[in-house]
Amino acid sequence: MRKLLHIEQIKLLNYNPFRITIALYFVAFALGILIYPAIDKEIPVISLSDLFRFPDVWLFLAWITEPYNAVLALVVIMITTKEFSDHTFKTQVVFGLSRTDLLLQKLLAIALLSLFATLLVGLTSMALGFIYSYKLTLKIAFGNSWILGRYLLASFSYMTIGLMVALLIKNTALSLITFLALRVFVDPVLWLLLRNHEIKWYLPFRTVTRLTPVPDLIEIFQRKMNSSEPVDEASLEILPKGLPPWLTILMVLLYTGLVIWACHRLLQRRRFT
Amino acid sequence: MKELLSIEGLSKSYKHVQAIKNLNLLISEGQAFGILGPNGSGKTTTLSIITGIIRQDSGSFSWFGEESLPGHRKSIGSLIESPHFYPYLNLEKNLRIICDIKGASYRDIPRVLEISKLKERSKSRFSTLSLGMKQRLGIAAALLADPQVLVLDEPTNGLDPEGIAEVREIVIEQVTGGKTLILASHILSEVEKICSHVAILKKGELLACGPVRELLSEEEIIEVSCRDNQLLKQKLRHSKLVREIEPGNGVLVLTLEEGVGAGDINAFAFSNNLVLSHMYSRKRSLESQFLELVKEES
Repeated sequence: MRKLLHIEQIKLLNYNPFRITIALYFVAFALGILIYPAIDKEIPVISLSDLFRFPDVWLFLAWITEPYNAVLALVVIMITTKEFSDHTFKTQVVFGLSRTDLLLQKLLAIALLSLFATLLVGLTSMALGFIYSYKLTLKIAFGNSWILGRYLLASFSYMTIGLMVALLIKNTALSLITFLALRVFVDPVLWLLLRNHEIKWYLPFRTVTRLTPVPDLIEIFQRKMNSSEPVDEASLEILPKGLPPWLTILMVLLYTGLVIWACHRLLQRRRFT
Repeated sequence: MKELLSIEGLSKSYKHVQAIKNLNLLISEGQAFGILGPNGSGKTTTLSIITGIIRQDSGSFSWFGEESLPGHRKSIGSLIESPHFYPYLNLEKNLRIICDIKGASYRDIPRVLEISKLKERSKSRFSTLSLGMKQRLGIAAALLADPQVLVLDEPTNGLDPEGIAEVREIVIEQVTGGKTLILASHILSEVEKICSHVAILKKGELLACGPVRELLSEEEIIEVSCRDNQLLKQKLRHSKLVREIEPGNGVLVLTLEEGVGAGDINAFAFSNNLVLSHMYSRKRSLESQFLELVKEES
């Protein structure tokens, strides 16, 4: 394991496109966070800076930064297809790695990137929470930090889908286009087609997205107003309900397992040239 | 000698092309074994299977008497076709990756760079190397961890004469140093210069296998003519002195049986009242023998 990780480390840390994309991910992440306080000035009814307070900041940040996982999936596609175009998968097999090792190597890289993304969200949430919160106890501060576990799973799942697409298509440009098409076009179209059926909640990308759902803004607003009046049930309908959290997690684990199995099969069958 | 690699009934096809067909080979430790054949004869496929890059359709092979390959990978240094490394990494970092894969110490890197005469380029990116240097780096990588066996697939392919000489020198040094070599090549002289044993493949089938000296020994060819070449041909055909008779440009080209010389042919013709008006003895080149062997079986 350590050996595989070290090999990936040499490859990735010296690969300029990887370093640049990760730097861009940082920039995009930082800009995304900076934009919200700016929007805040435009909306007088509910202050978005409230969402940066503990414990809501954990949920809010996990939700708004979830799309950035797609960027990491693109990174995975880039580094995997590069192995095909440079014929280096073959070299590694010739010199002694098994095909399962090749998969483990990429999964380890994905796991590290997921940890990195989760850590970034965690640290940013904490920093924003400390800046914006006025009432601070340990319970309040870390109240919703459990979302980081879900964020980690979402990030990992996204990237494994990217890996599968890369192993299937092998070509960088085509893989990137396919992945983006799946995320931006196929998934929403299927969602629309299945909008009257419960099965829509089981769509792979949908379940992954639902791991870090939209925070309950009404409840947050109500808490801010110190209102004890029950919330109008009808108003809650604006929030998508979906599957219960445990089922969402189960479905994502199932999908991720299937994707990893497919990656394994693809690598076993690939003829390296 | 101890058995190193045993191949039994190995077959592999790509869609409608039969790359290798029921191949059987036995290679012993310490041999410099050449796999010789024209392009498309199944050399690379054979080496790719025995190094685990591709899987055979049927048949089996065993290294060191055992069927599991991963356990023996460290004892086998391979270079299959052109070497491919990470173009953006320098030579040292590329070799570090191979060290990690093989479980070798990074301290072995200067040694193999020295052998492959690439020490001064250790900090250069792989993409900046010439083809010959890339090939030498491939051999350097194969030599990491000082493996017992070298499996090289056309190591001089595409190189200029200087590059060919450099690569050959490195390979011969390793063979002389006691390593077992399995070398695939379509260049007969290369196999003849480096190998002690050879297997000749054509369209995936084994045509011949044995020591280079026996299989590719230089045969004596004699050109003869007399006033009645047809009659001479008939007489010689029943004489058991010649293995083969081919009509040439007004002459008969004879391949002699072992132990038969030009004098025997002359005496035989004379005893049959045929006076030879032309007699020319020459050695048949290895290349023509190889081409003939390959042609015969087609």
